Formats: sequence, C-alpha cells, structure tokens
Amino acid sequence: MRKLLSSHRLTFVILIFGFGLMVFALGGLVIPVGASPASDPVQNPILAQGELPDNAACLFCHNKPEMSRSLPSGETLPLTIDSSHFAESAHEGVACSECHNNIVTFPHPDLQIQTLRDFSLQMYTVCQKCHEEQYNKTLDSVHMRAVAAGNTNAAICTDCHNPHTQPVITDQNGSLLPAARLHIPETCARCHSAIYDTYKQSVHGAALTQESNIDVPTCIDCHGVHNIADPTTNAFRLQLPQVCARCHTDPAIMDKYGISTQVLNTYVADFHGTTVTLFEKTTPDQATNKPVCFDCHGVHDIKRVDDPVYGLQMKENLLLACQRCHPDANSNFPDAWMSHYIPSPTNFPIVYYVNLFYKIFIPAVIGSMVIFVISDIVRRLIERRKGVKHV
Amino acid sequence: MSEKKTVKRQSRSTKHPARQYERFHWTQRVEHILLLTSFSLLGITGLPQKFSTTAWAQAMVHFFGGIETTRLIHHICAIVLMFLAIYHILDIGYKIFVRRTRLSMLPGLSDVKDAFQAFLYNLGLTKKRPQMGRYTFEEKAEYWALIWGTVIMGITGFMMWNPITTARIFPGEIIPASKAAHGGEALLAVMAIIVWHMYGVHLKRFNKAMFTGKQTEEEMLHEHPLELADIKAGIAERPVDLRTLRRRQTIYFPVAGVLAIAMLFGIYGFIGSEKTAITTVPPISNPVPIYVPQTPTPIPTPITTAVPSSMLTWEASIGAMFQAKCAMCHNVSLATNGLSFTSYADALRGGSNGPVVVPGEADGSKVVLLQSAGGHPGQFSLEELAVVKKWIAAGALEK
Repeated sequence: MRKLLSSHRLTFVILIFGFGLMVFALGGLVIPVGASPASDPVQNPILAQGELPDNAACLFCHNKPEMSRSLPSGETLPLTIDSSHFAESAHEGVACSECHNNIVTFPHPDLQIQTLRDFSLQMYTVCQKCHEEQYNKTLDSVHMRAVAAGNTNAAICTDCHNPHTQPVITDQNGSLLPAARLHIPETCARCHSAIYDTYKQSVHGAALTQESNIDVPTCIDCHGVHNIADPTTNAFRLQLPQVCARCHTDPAIMDKYGISTQVLNTYVADFHGTTVTLFEKTTPDQATNKPVCFDCHGVHDIKRVDDPVYGLQMKENLLLACQRCHPDANSNFPDAWMSHYIPSPTNFPIVYYVNLFYKIFIPAVIGSMVIFVISDIVRRLIERRKGVKHV
Repeated sequence: MSEKKTVKRQSRSTKHPARQYERFHWTQRVEHILLLTSFSLLGITGLPQKFSTTAWAQAMVHFFGGIETTRLIHHICAIVLMFLAIYHILDIGYKIFVRRTRLSMLPGLSDVKDAFQAFLYNLGLTKKRPQMGRYTFEEKAEYWALIWGTVIMGITGFMMWNPITTARIFPGEIIPASKAAHGGEALLAVMAIIVWHMYGVHLKRFNKAMFTGKQTEEEMLHEHPLELADIKAGIAERPVDLRTLRRRQTIYFPVAGVLAIAMLFGIYGFIGSEKTAITTVPPISNPVPIYVPQTPTPIPTPITTAVPSSMLTWEASIGAMFQAKCAMCHNVSLATNGLSFTSYADALRGGSNGPVVVPGEADGSKVVLLQSAGGHPGQFSLEELAVVKKWIAAGALEK
C-alpha cells in the first residue's frame, strides 16, 4: 500500500518535470515567430523566490496571442497583452507587477473570481497608487456611489481607461490634448450608447463627430471628469446655466459662430433665470421647476435655434416648449420670454421704450426733487445763521 | 392714498400751550401705518428681485429665507395694499358723496405756482413764502405720485402674476414690458420716498402729525395758513344736517357695498384666477435610457463585431478564429491529440479520437461540446462559440 503510494508520487513528479520541459520547449518554438522582439527569448520565465518579475518575464507568456482563461460564469478572461500597444500606452515603462502585485509568482495564484466584472472590480483600486487625485475624485462621482450601492455595472477606472492601451491624452500641464477630446464621447458611449446616439444628432455632437470640431462640448465638459456628478440632482439643475455659460459667454468661441454671448445675462434678467440664480446662490439644493437651459434647448438633443424642424426660433416649437410647463399658454405667450434678446427698437420695442421712459423719467423726477431739497436745506442754513426764527 | 402732513418748521419757543387742531382721523393714521408697512416690505422684497445678481440682493433674499419666501412676502404685502386701496376708494367716496367735504387734495394751477414760489424763495429770489391750504404742493405731489404708482404697480403686477390670462388679451411682450415698468416704477417710488418723504417729514423735522393726529396752532400758521384762516372763519368744514346725511348714506352704502364686492372679486381674480405653471419639475422633452452598454459588461475588451451569415465560411471568418484560438497547440507540427486546425481539411478530418466537426450537427460536434464546457486552454468567447455553432449547423462550409 505504502509502496504503491510512493510509486504514484514518483510518477507524478516525472509527469510534472516532463510537462515543465514541454512548456520550455514550446516556448522556444513559439518565441522566434512571436510578435514581440522586446521579450528576451532565452530568459527563463520561472522566477526565483522573492524576486519581482520584469515586464519581459511577464510578456514571455502574455505576449502570446489569444491567451485566455474561461471563468465560472462562462465568460472568457483575455490574458494576452499586445506589447506593441502597451509600448505606445501611457503606462509604457510601468512594471506589470506595479498593478498586478498579487500575481508576481509562478505558477500564479488562482483567481478568486466568478465573472469578468469581478476581475475588474478587484483590480481598479490599484490605480490610486499613482493616480490618487483622480481616484479620490471618482469617489465623489455618481459612478462610485452606484458601485458602493452595489451596482457592479457602474463605471470604474478601467472601463474608461484600458490600462494596457490607454494613450497619453494630456500635455505636460495636465490639460487634455485637443485631439483627445474627439474620442471622449466614444468612451462614455460604451455604457451610455443611447445618449451617445442622441448626442451625435445634436448641434454639438454632430460638429464633433462629423466635422471634428473641438470647440463644442464633449460629455466631460458638462458632466465633469472623474468626479462626475449625478445630473438628476437639484444642485446640478441649478448650476446648469453656469455650465452652459462657460462656453456661451466666451466671445472667443461664440464669435466664430455668430452666437450671442448675452444668453446668460438675458436669462438671469428674466423671471426664470432670476429664480434659478437666487436659488443657486442661497439654497443650492433647492428643488425648482423653473426652466434651466436644457428644459427648452434639450438635454443631449440640443438643436440649432434655426434648425428647420426643431429650432426654437420657430414660434410653434417655442410654444411647445412653453406648454410643457404652462399647459394653458396660447400662441401669444412665448413672447412673454424675450428669447435671449436685449430689448431694442426692433426686438421687443415695448420693453425697450418702457425702459427708456424710466431711464429718463426717474432721473428727471428724482433730480428735480433733489434740487428742491438742496435749495431748501441751503435756505434753512442761511436763515439759521441769520438767526431768523422763521415760522 | 392717505393724506400726509409736512410742517416746515416748529417754533421751539412756545410760551403758552398751543391750541391743538386735529389733522388726521385715527382711521387715516391706521391706514398710514398699514401703507408704510406694506410699502416698505414690498420695496425691500421687490428690489432684491430686480437686482438679483448683486451680492446685497442675494444676502437680502437669503435673509428672507429664499426667493420663494421673498416672493410670498411680496405677494402678501401686495394683497394688503390692494385691500387698502379698496378701503381708500370707499372712504374717499364717502367724503365726496356723503360728507361733501372740500376736495382739498385735488391738484391745481395754484400748486404749480406755490412750488415755483417756494423754489424762488429758497434761492433768495423772493422774500415771500407761498401761503398754502390743507395740503401743501409737496404733500399733493407725494399723494398723487403714490396713486399713480399704485395703479401702475397694480396693473403691471397683475400681468406678471397672471401671464397666461394677460397673453390671451395682449401680445406676450406686454409681460416683460410690465416687469420693466414694475421695476422702474418701484425704483422711482423708493427713491422718491427716500428723497422727498424722508426729507420732508423726517429730516427737516420729525412731523408727528401722522402718528398723533394733532398739530399746534403755530404749526398750522406756519404750514397751512389758509386752512387755519378757514377754520377760524368757520368755513373749513361744511356741516351736514343729520337728515341729509342719513339720506345720502342710504344711497351711498348700498352702492359702496356693491362696489366693494366687485373690487374684492377683483382681488380674488388677481390672486387666484390662473394656474400659471405646473408645480413639478418640467418633464424632459426627449428622454433616453441612461445605461445602454455596447458590450454586455463594460469591460475593456476588444469589441467583437457580429459576423454576418454570408461570411460563415472557413475562408471568410471561421478559419481565422480557429487559427487564433486553437492553432497554438493544434497545428501541423504539434498536432496535439492528432488534431490540427491550420486548414479546413485538417479541421474536418478530426484528431486521433475521431472527427470534432460534424457538418450540420452543431450540438453533436466535439469541438462545440468541449468549448461549451469551458476551461479549455484555448477558449472561444461566447460570441465566437455562437458563430462556430452557426457555421457547423449551416454545414461547416469551406467557401
């Protein structure tokens, strides 16, 4: 019995040894035709105890095409790293073991995951080692709140930034490269494809995706990046006019397209804008049903105001927008809103002339009063000096 | 609205207790208190709305508890002012039609003359001050400015309060025009109160007649000499005998009652006639679902594009998939288990244990069984496996 057992053991050891030899031989066979000249073909990938592997050691195996592992969920975890892509990525020069610090030994410890998502969710926290600022920002984001609430689909670092292929998208100062802006909506579209499809039809999205115009906002210009806020909160709603105003009050951008930079002023001067501005300043979390930019212009489907079908310059479209909140409004009603115009003799002349009247009338009346009052004060001072007890 | 009193100067050397004259009835004094309260509150809750972008305005709005509360206070004060206006109209009506008192507040050419003379006197161009009656030109100016202002504020306020109703009758532009007029008039009124009223009855000297209701003979002599003369001559008031008074009252009271009810209905219409807007957050015009991933899970994997059925042949797509996933071990040189996937013929021939692809029998093919179980060193993705199954089911064609 005992002998039998030991003979089994011996067979086992021989088998393992044989298998090892075969792996080695296979490696020798495959490497010369492999895609990566960077990896050293003669280096033994099997590591000494306590030594951290360099990337060549990892890529010795992981550079082989179509390496994968199936998971209990039936999904396939791809294990191939395209070293040419990796070499062009922002992480070129970063050791594999910097992030994969739990698999520095060979054979690798077994993965304690059921699904592909489990793997991503286990891994993404290592990003904070180098990207602490961005990582901490994400903790405030709507995505991380969703993750914390148990929604494993919510975006984590690696959903937007594939760590093995992410190219450099910022300049030395950390600001986003203009060319990178063109691809941001595609990143968000991975999860928000319906919104992306809507955005592509909008005046902004069409300019970005069809004309490569980088003046227009991408997702992150309105939603922020990393600390992406929940856009359904009261606070987001109240801040929205300021978000749109970042570009729409900037003559450097707007003059190119002949768009007024007075859109914020004229909005704030109106009843709706006044209310929203005051809410934002005094009670930033206040719920309000007063319209902000997107209530009339659309959320992701923003159209040109002179769009032949949807443009708000068409009074019928504006009326429809009004009626969403003012169901009883008639066709006169949209003129109650001055459509971002500053009143002039041609646009909203009644308002212009009322303002003009008071511009003249107030100084005339108050000026006359002041002149009379001053004359009275002077007379009294003179009489007091003279000692006249005037009755 | 209510009569006001301005006294130019009070002699401090009153040797004997002066005779007191009633200037304002207690009802007028109450009217004044209500007016000054509502007017002040309207001003301090209204101007921050006009100048809402300034820091002081925002601080004031915050002090009142936010813009909604500020507007609520403004609206309540407006309602108080409207009630006051109704009372005042009825009171004036009583004085005109029942008591038939002198219309001493009516402005006339003499007031223009008085103003001009007062100004000349202040400039030292004449030695004679104007001699004025019950209401001086200053008081009349303020009273009629208040009447004008209240009418303008009432009309424009109605239009802003009820924009839907207004737009049924007028062009929509009248509503922002109302707002412009409301703001302009407010600024005018507040500034006039500060310059004219504050100086006239508080700074020059504090004229307490509006609070005590009384004025001394000396004050009367100085300020309202013509009225004092009339009082002394006994012609200031025209007494009405009791029978005539009753007769007029029986006509006036029903008329005033109807008028009051009509005006109260007017206030009700002002406040409650229209539901301007929905009270909920406006619905999004074109909502789209938020989470619509392009891949089943948002993992950073290369996106596998679906293979059109016209491409379901070994040469078009399937061969490449086997080449990528299987040929690392199952190639001509290694031929693990005697199996190679490097060519269509090899794939169909199978391995040392028999064929692995049975054309037309996707679920019976060993390659499908093995791959479906998972865990094979070279493993198709679920999408790829589906494509392979389709290919086998369609006859595992080469071309």
